Amino acid sequence: MTDDRPDSSVDVEAAELALGLLDGDERAAALRRVLSEPAFATEVERWRLYVAQLFDLWPEVEPPEGLIDRIDLSLGGPSPIRARRLPWPMIATVMTAIAAMLLVVVALRPNPTVPPAPPPPVPVGQPAPPPTSPQPMLVAALGTEKPVPAVFEPATGRLRLAGSPAVAAGRVAQLWVIGGDATPHALGLLGDGDNALVLTGVDAARLVAGATLAVSDEPPGGSPQSTPTGPVVATGALRAV
Amino acid sequence: MTAPRLSPDAARTRLAETLVKVGSEDRAAFRDLYDLTSAKLFGICLRICGQREAAEDVLHEVYLIVWRRAGAWEPGRASPITWLATIARNRAIDWRRSAGGRPTTTLDDAPDLPDLTPDAEAGLVAAGERHRLVDCLAELDDRQRDSIRTAFFDGVTYADIAARAAVPVGTAKSWIRRGLARLKDCLDR
Repeated sequence: MTDDRPDSSVDVEAAELALGLLDGDERAAALRRVLSEPAFATEVERWRLYVAQLFDLWPEVEPPEGLIDRIDLSLGGPSPIRARRLPWPMIATVMTAIAAMLLVVVALRPNPTVPPAPPPPVPVGQPAPPPTSPQPMLVAALGTEKPVPAVFEPATGRLRLAGSPAVAAGRVAQLWVIGGDATPHALGLLGDGDNALVLTGVDAARLVAGATLAVSDEPPGGSPQSTPTGPVVATGALRAV
Repeated sequence: MTAPRLSPDAARTRLAETLVKVGSEDRAAFRDLYDLTSAKLFGICLRICGQREAAEDVLHEVYLIVWRRAGAWEPGRASPITWLATIARNRAIDWRRSAGGRPTTTLDDAPDLPDLTPDAEAGLVAAGERHRLVDCLAELDDRQRDSIRTAFFDGVTYADIAARAAVPVGTAKSWIRRGLARLKDCLDR
């Protein structure tokens, strides 16, 4: 569908992507451009911010009473009412301890791209605090011809890929995530066999249902810049299961 | 909402501070964030989902995402409400597309959409802040402006817009693309 472009001298694909006008193959093609053309990615971001001005004008509607309680309950753990009165310092201490433990686990993994890592030790002994939220696993199928399954466990930050999309000889496969900001963020390099990456902080937070995982073909060591430099060889959207 | 109205700048600062606290897993701040933002986000979910029950479920999911991702919000990049509203709009669109249904075109209890003329904007805009996009939209012809408005507020694609207007997709694309090109021209000025 290129013949119906009334004015091919003006490229409005970034605006189309930012507004959400595209679907199917056209959307996939635009997302590939985001990955491969930094200027295009910047343009999409610019449009996204322009369009966001309209949020100020969006009519407000009060949600039903009690919905916050349902949401709060589904986060698990102590309710904020109790938490505010008593055990915050304790929770904070426990959380800090858990964070420290996780840091050790992460630090002990020399290279997150070394496949296949054994499952991480499950902390036992102390009664585990209730999870802070029910976190469904996320899955994606990368590529179409020989899709590579990817599974992400938000609770542990482990992202596993059964294999890796093929790249040219002497090149490496680099994994990216593209979320609501329409900007590719590097997650790591993939080895030939199965891959297990442990994601933390901002990287882990970017993996949500609806975000896209993408693999690009890069020189050894990965892309020399913050966006992909080689062709994108596979993409797949994350879905909650 | 009986809280006294804050100035837009103060409201934004308060929202940013609340979001940062949510990022450090502060459950009380999470409830505050809900009080400050749920009417806007529910308005978004309701408009796009077209059904109350679905909109409530999507809003629920949106706040779970916010709880998990608040730590990744970077102050100074997107404004907090833009960040939150974008999550809500994207989730609502995802829901509607996965539900496979065409968007409901009429919604009994959803308020009317703003008409996107500079006049309508006057009362809403934060002091000293220009809504360039609204100014530029005003330069388009009605059909182009309406299509772009529908795309944003209803979260619909070219195919949906064409179906609603009962025209071939190519036709809808062609007038919207012309509108976007004019918009781009205006915004670049």
